[in-house]
Amino acid sequence: MASKTMDQVQEEAKADMTPMIDCVFLLIIFFLCIDFKVLEAKLPAYLPKDSGAQSTHADPIEKLSLKIECVSPGRELPRPNSKSIYREGHRVRYHVGPTVVNDEEALVKELRRIYSDRSKWTKDDKTGAPKPQPIVIEPGVNAVYGDVAVCVDAARSVGFEDIQFGGGLGRGKKPAPGAK
Amino acid sequence: MAAGGKRTKSVQQELVMDMTPMIDCVFLLMIFFVLVIDLSQQTLEDLILPKATYAVPDEKPPENRPVVNIMQDGRVIVKKNVRYDPARDGDNLSPIHALLVEMRDNIPKLDIKKETVGGTTMTLINDPLLIRADKWTEWHYVGKFMEACVFPQAAFWKIELALSEDDKEAKMLSKARK
Repeated sequence: MASKTMDQVQEEAKADMTPMIDCVFLLIIFFLCIDFKVLEAKLPAYLPKDSGAQSTHADPIEKLSLKIECVSPGRELPRPNSKSIYREGHRVRYHVGPTVVNDEEALVKELRRIYSDRSKWTKDDKTGAPKPQPIVIEPGVNAVYGDVAVCVDAARSVGFEDIQFGGGLGRGKKPAPGAK
Repeated sequence: MAAGGKRTKSVQQELVMDMTPMIDCVFLLMIFFVLVIDLSQQTLEDLILPKATYAVPDEKPPENRPVVNIMQDGRVIVKKNVRYDPARDGDNLSPIHALLVEMRDNIPKLDIKKETVGGTTMTLINDPLLIRADKWTEWHYVGKFMEACVFPQAAFWKIELALSEDDKEAKMLSKARK
């Protein structure tokens, strides 16, 4: 009789660890997988519908030129655990019309100043309503996708909607891997 | 009688199978496969995108949106297939043109319109094309692809540049330095 009671007590005291371990595994898998699924963002831009020489007449539109000048292409270094590279010390400056700015913050400030000047605005072809002048982003030699993305991001944040691409294609002398 | 009753009970106890671990395992496997084999992610190459400060989050992308990945070496990859390789194709943009025509013909529900622009009849695609390129992809590769996009037979004139909400590269480098 006494031994039966002891057995019962032992059974009651034994905690079932299975659900807890399952939950821990679930959480581990959840956090492992969520790391790979970083939400992406998008920046809309437009390409010209036509290309090459045209015979039709078009009124000239004043466009804001935004040139990307690469001051230093940077040193190519391998990314950790990856076959790709990154550039250490890559530096660019931006030519917003005649003004030169050195960083993203100053670029946004300059774009905001230009945007607020309504005398530079153009008229919409269809509605006739005033709209901000188009921006033409002109990446220079050694410019990379990240530099252009910064410009498009800044222009969109200020309110410019018509973003176009121009200039050369930005191909330059590639620095030798590991060279300064 | 009493002894017989006990035996029946013990037999019943042995027969009752605990289904909990099996169901747990099934759930674990389901969650694992749902998260890992996400079909919508198949179009996305493993690239490190530049960080967005002001861009619109790409929360509910349309299912039929064409996506193009441009790698650091300029290769254009669509659904895991290399469609243009500068080392192989050089300045010959016909593989990209073929890709655009294929997208025009095979992607369902694309908004396609014919329009005469400057005397040329263009097939304009009014749905955006998402360009994903690595942060350090040289711009001339992206620029060349954009140039090819203005193709009269399949002109994708609306584009979207992909960015990341997270600075993955900075995280990666700081992790490596630790």
